[in-house]
Amino acid sequence: LAGFDFRTPDSIDGALEELAADGSVALAGGTSLVLMLKQDLVPASRVVWLGRISGLRGISSSPEGALAIGATTTVAEIAASSDVQRLQPALAEAAAHVGNPRVRAVATLGGGLVHADPRQDLPPVLLALGASATVRGRHGEREVSLERFFNGLMETDVADGEILTRVTVPAAPPGRRSCYMRFTPASEDDFPTVGVAAALDLDPDGSVRAAAVGLGGVAGRPVLVEEAAGILAGRRPGAAEVAELAAAAERACDPVDDQRGSPAYKRAMARVWTRRALERLLSAGR
Amino acid sequence: VKLRLSLNGEPVEGEVDSGTLLLDFLRARGLTGTKEGCGVGVCGACSVLIGSQPVSSCIYLAVCVDGADLWTAEGLAEREPSLARAFVEHEGMQCGICTPGQLVAASAYLLQDRPADEESIREFMSGNICRCTGYVSIVESVRSALGRV
Repeated sequence: LAGFDFRTPDSIDGALEELAADGSVALAGGTSLVLMLKQDLVPASRVVWLGRISGLRGISSSPEGALAIGATTTVAEIAASSDVQRLQPALAEAAAHVGNPRVRAVATLGGGLVHADPRQDLPPVLLALGASATVRGRHGEREVSLERFFNGLMETDVADGEILTRVTVPAAPPGRRSCYMRFTPASEDDFPTVGVAAALDLDPDGSVRAAAVGLGGVAGRPVLVEEAAGILAGRRPGAAEVAELAAAAERACDPVDDQRGSPAYKRAMARVWTRRALERLLSAGR
Repeated sequence: VKLRLSLNGEPVEGEVDSGTLLLDFLRARGLTGTKEGCGVGVCGACSVLIGSQPVSSCIYLAVCVDGADLWTAEGLAEREPSLARAFVEHEGMQCGICTPGQLVAASAYLLQDRPADEESIREFMSGNICRCTGYVSIVESVRSALGRV
């Protein structure tokens, strides 16, 4: 690779100062950025490595059950975290299936979100769980819901000179069931043709208080199916309601044609795997 | 950029260009067990161990191993002789190009104290591609090294 000015700040403020220079790019795990540097897709005269900033890494939980995950926490750390497994099992499940063990060991939550490849596994889960991102710049900090975080293919709300510092996942309400399912017709370590995250909040009598479905791989950005709550809320869903929401998921897709399937195939698979995810959640308690 | 790290258990100091890939850094030091396969972090031929975590050295910057405890297949073959022996005894190789990476992945599996069942081994080792063996003998090698066969 062509050389660059390599900086290793040990604080967030230090990193923000280093990133103020033109041509600067932030490096976390590098599983995406180093690939892009190798292909000359990212012009970088300065690389600011965030790996030495201890305050950006780690997972904490509040007494109420909210999770705060630092941006440079690795995918493997999320998969192995007992807090994540206990509080948000769908997130742990998704993290355990990202790429291969070497990718999970190095790739970070924040690096992945800022890279914003729409085929990733974690964004649909975070969308369905109502997560938000904390973004810091030299003039302060702001909170962005994941729903408003992705602007399009590899485009996010994080501006030049800003850093995504952590992701917050709100506490799961009582009766929450959630899961993530990915369909990979090629090999297990491939990006999914479609990834479906579903979260249902059920009353003891089986009626739905809240519902969310997130999709990956089927549009220029991860998609939250807007009709989910409207279709299921207040009802005790059976096959008809599940089919109605699965059809809504299909309509929410805007896929590209690639080696993982044609647009029509991906839409159909979004419907099938949404149905399977919902069936899995609804049958879990029986 | 200056580098200080532990490489295969030995302290190493050196100077690298900022854009040097870890793969090229290692091969320039004569550690040619680490191979370039796909060059995009998928095939596993360039696997090395940082602590107990396997890493693709073809998409990792050498400057990021400053201060690390880094192991390559060469060092692991000496550190974990029973693992290397298991691969020989169970013929967990054929042409050999993926073998250093398989040893690194298997070392990570042992170090992370993961379960000894075949499915777990297959899931973890699936990140290392082998086009010769059909994987059965590789899985047997790892199970044997775990001492549960």
